[in-house]
Amino acid sequence: MAGGQSLVPLMNMRLATPRHLIDLKNVAGLSDIAMSETSVTIGSMARQRQIELSPAIRRACPILAEATTHIAHFQIRQRGTIGGSIAHADPAAELPLIALLLDARIVVRAADRKRSIPARDFFVSTFVTALDESEVIETVVLPRLSSGEGWAFEEFARRHGDFALAGVAATVTLTGGRYSGARLAMSGVAATPVVLPMAERLLGEEPSRALYRAVAAAATADLTPESDIHATGEDRRDIACHLTEIALAAATERALHSTDRSAG
Amino acid sequence: MRRSEDYRLLLGAGTFTDDLQIPRTLHAAFVRSPYAHARITAIDVERALALPGVVAVFTGEDLAKLTEPGVTAQAGAEPMVMETLPTRKVRFNGDPVACVVAVDRYVAEDAIELVEVDYEPLAPVLSMESAAAPDAPLVDEDLSSNLHTRQTRTFGDVVSAFAEADEIVEVRFSTQRMTHVPIETRGVLAVWDAGRMELTFYSGQQTAHLLRTNLARRLRLDENQVRVISPDVGGAFGQKIPLFREELTVAALAIKLRRPIKWIEDRLENLTVANHARDDSAWIRAAVTKDGRILGIKAELWADYGAYAFFTPKYPIDSVGWLLPGPYKLQNYEYSINVVITNKCPAGTLRAPMALVTWATEGMVERIARQLKIDPVEVRRRNMITSRDQPYVSATGYSYEALTPWEGYEQMLRDFDLTGFRAEQRAARANDRYLGVGIASVLEPTTYGSAWYKKSGRGSGHEAATVKVEPSGAVNVSVGIVPTGQGYETTIAQVVAEALGTRVGNVNVLLGDTSIAPYGMGTRGSRGAAAGNAVAYLAATEARAKVLRIAAHLVGEPIDNLEIRDDQIYVLGEPEPRLPLSQASWTAYMDPSALPAGELPGLEIHRTYDPPAMTFSNATHLCVAEVERRTGRVEILDYRVIEDAGTLINPAIVDGQIRGGVSLGIGQALLEEVVYDELGNNQTATFLDYLIPTIDTVPNIQISHVQTPNPHTVLGLKGMAEGPVQGGLAAVMIAVQDALDGKGITIDRSPASPSRIRALFRAVEGDLDE
Amino acid sequence: MTAMRRVRFQINGQSVEQDVAPRLLLSDFLRDVLGFTGTHVGCEQGACGACTILLNGEAVRSCLMFAVQVNGATVLTIEGVSPDGTSLHPIQRAFHENHGLQCGFCTPGFVMSACALLKENPAPTESEIRTQLSGNLCRCTGYESIVQSVLQAARDLESAGGQSAGKADSHAG
Repeated sequence: MAGGQSLVPLMNMRLATPRHLIDLKNVAGLSDIAMSETSVTIGSMARQRQIELSPAIRRACPILAEATTHIAHFQIRQRGTIGGSIAHADPAAELPLIALLLDARIVVRAADRKRSIPARDFFVSTFVTALDESEVIETVVLPRLSSGEGWAFEEFARRHGDFALAGVAATVTLTGGRYSGARLAMSGVAATPVVLPMAERLLGEEPSRALYRAVAAAATADLTPESDIHATGEDRRDIACHLTEIALAAATERALHSTDRSAG
Repeated sequence: MRRSEDYRLLLGAGTFTDDLQIPRTLHAAFVRSPYAHARITAIDVERALALPGVVAVFTGEDLAKLTEPGVTAQAGAEPMVMETLPTRKVRFNGDPVACVVAVDRYVAEDAIELVEVDYEPLAPVLSMESAAAPDAPLVDEDLSSNLHTRQTRTFGDVVSAFAEADEIVEVRFSTQRMTHVPIETRGVLAVWDAGRMELTFYSGQQTAHLLRTNLARRLRLDENQVRVISPDVGGAFGQKIPLFREELTVAALAIKLRRPIKWIEDRLENLTVANHARDDSAWIRAAVTKDGRILGIKAELWADYGAYAFFTPKYPIDSVGWLLPGPYKLQNYEYSINVVITNKCPAGTLRAPMALVTWATEGMVERIARQLKIDPVEVRRRNMITSRDQPYVSATGYSYEALTPWEGYEQMLRDFDLTGFRAEQRAARANDRYLGVGIASVLEPTTYGSAWYKKSGRGSGHEAATVKVEPSGAVNVSVGIVPTGQGYETTIAQVVAEALGTRVGNVNVLLGDTSIAPYGMGTRGSRGAAAGNAVAYLAATEARAKVLRIAAHLVGEPIDNLEIRDDQIYVLGEPEPRLPLSQASWTAYMDPSALPAGELPGLEIHRTYDPPAMTFSNATHLCVAEVERRTGRVEILDYRVIEDAGTLINPAIVDGQIRGGVSLGIGQALLEEVVYDELGNNQTATFLDYLIPTIDTVPNIQISHVQTPNPHTVLGLKGMAEGPVQGGLAAVMIAVQDALDGKGITIDRSPASPSRIRALFRAVEGDLDE
Repeated sequence: MTAMRRVRFQINGQSVEQDVAPRLLLSDFLRDVLGFTGTHVGCEQGACGACTILLNGEAVRSCLMFAVQVNGATVLTIEGVSPDGTSLHPIQRAFHENHGLQCGFCTPGFVMSACALLKENPAPTESEIRTQLSGNLCRCTGYESIVQSVLQAARDLESAGGQSAGKADSHAG
């Protein structure tokens, strides 16, 4: 057990009845946060609140810090961990989305071996990951955002802290006023978070509302999200489309702003 | 005046039911049906009994031997009989079929999973339409039909009204199934004193005495063998009124096992099996003239009441019926009510059981205006009751007096720049932004006297109080109303202090214990002020009269020359007091021979009071909302209330009732919904699925008060508490409809959830958006 | 039955050492074993916030932890917020003065959350309060009076010079 913020409610409702429960809290070093030139390495037991309040993460990977503030409520984030959230693999959750967008590496460990799984291979289905029963997550390694890279995280929840009906994360880079790089991923629209290759349609283009609309429409057109009591699949797709437009605009704004600043 | 309850609650020293700990207490948990509708063919409890720590497992057959069934009688309809636990079949997902008693709750829950129940599933009845179908399977096999209640009432000349109409305006409104969600769930600690043969039943309850009467009967005990103690109650909202089957079971088993037994419901149970409400719909036709006068209305009202009747099935929907004319001049009216029994959790009285009514009436008036292309303000001007029209007897026979609906509406239009808003609304629309305003005039029935109960079936609306001025002059008060957060301990102390001439701090208010409180009708509707506080005031007035008689005798002055202030007795015009109040009280108890001739010893007053058949408050609510087309989100930008609840005892407490009530109305308008799947499984069993308003979803509410005293009540009190819920639902839904005006969209079901709004937009957008 | 485990920790300034069943929830332990019944259980789903306590100064849900997990920790419950057990801490006083409670069942959770919020952010805006306290449910008040209570508590604590006005601050620190 990591922070227990998803598991214990299930146990309280007797929807989960593990025979044994091991608290990873006392495993030394599992909650460290380490920075390098290119990446941020976060111990799986690092608490979400620790990530959200870390100035180093806010500088190196601000989209992660921002996404973390959208997880449930601060009392939950006080206990909830990055490893727990990623291992739980809720398709609507924030941290799996960011891990996928940035193609983080999930370093997992069994008693006698260790392996590193790219996020794109880690999330298999709803609540299902590439972890086998003998493995726990040791660290999550996320690339730093490059300087000048604009980012945005947008999600739509019915109330603050609720599971999002849909979430969108994007990064963009502009060179000479045209997009030279872009990444786009969504949560809540499939059994796992998904990366949208449509972001490539931005490359070489100049920013415009019409472009955001076109990319958002194309990115969401083929999605077939599940329906539940909070939203139909159509609702989710509509909302994801809207969030994508907002996210592209916001990421572009940040990219332009940071370019201005470094140029100035 | 700040609340005296706060101190213990803020220190964590309150005493809620689950806080009580008594040695040797056992803990109960219930085996519940996984099916919406099934026959029970066998129950095997052996494996559960074998689990260490399990003391007993009881089924419906066992309980039938220990208790009497419940019977809900309703004039003109078949009585509904309810076993303590079902023996033949289960009728909804979560219906309790057995009770496990164990050393702690953990073991009891372990044992639940070991009780083996064989079911023969039956087709579930899950909608009004299918329930009323002639070939529908019977939910309650003792009834002749699932359509339990069907009655029509006609007032005035509806036929002529419709014949003379220039137009007929037709509207439909439906509200979703909801549940109460007190943050403290239901629960009970039942303690049997085997030596005295007395049961003490600790449980957060709104109507402690009525519950005791019922509990004694169901347990086959004399009423003086049962004591109900409602300790601090963590909210109730109409849920903690009936004697629920779990509570009765726990009481019966505490007697049987001669051990204290505690049952504290978990949240999953509270959301799915405690009690629901609001599964209502209205189809209304209004006969109107071209210039917008309403000649008459016809309404067909439906309610899905769920599987069992803890209240008379017609009660909530009938209150929509008799209130529907609202604050409008309207004498030709006909309504029918239709109540179906289905395989869902039983429904009941959630704060403002008539919640639908204000949305229905005001929504109808808005539609009349739009259909006739007349300003809604004009339609109201032509039809709304003003203070000059009163006293006014409504179509359904209710007397309106000292109400200010039109005046409140006019004041709202003075305070809010409607013309400016319309301009802003048009400008926003050009940018694909959808702003709307909803103004709703609330007519809230507050205090139901016994005359009302007599007319509506049976029961009483009176209330009772005791005021005891103890020998030292300290005052103990009790009333039959039971607080669940309303601050009664504070307001009762205020009115008693005022009547008696003592300090508020000198008045101790003890409520909720049937061995201390006089027999009263408890807390329901909005009767706290005009029944509960009123009777305390009257009792204190009698105590004051006795104090003055004694004091007059002691100081040798005429009674009319005396007054009591700050616990001192003064002769009028004298700066210094003649004697302390405590000297009069001391004399009453300790020196009766010094009392005036004929005066009996002691200073304990018992007083009852039967308020008028019905009192009303009124209010005007205004909501400005924005609907986001792309996501379906509704955001409230402005919310205002002008409230006329007559004389106010404690304005801060009234404001708290307004804010809390509007919050519940907003929850109904935007968030909350109990959802069943096609098999009748409850899909909203957690707080992640049943969404109640949070601190970030409820706006600040601007409140202003008008105080028009009711001429027929004590102190001019009217009471209030449910109207804010009616207004909250109505103002938000009308604002949403206003925001969508001109798009060809009609929102006729609450909640205005993102999904519902998106679906409505999609229907008119086609592929334009792509 | 699984063997009992021993836990040692500090609660409201007292040391406690107790054997507990591994599956015993912290909320049940605090209430049923130690008698700190001011911590209320409203859902056991981690959603209502009534059971919020301070664990090593941080607000957490006691219904989502096991008693065995507090070994070595410092816990503060509503009973430990008052400086002397009888007078109101400025946060409690602000709730009283702003009618920030009705039935009072959710109140301990709000007070504990407010303790944590104000320690981290001594002068929150209304919007920050509404965001940070969105994990505490209240069905009675409509929340505005709670917002006003926390705003006043922030002002009162600040004018007291940021000095500890009660145990909450010292233990939370």
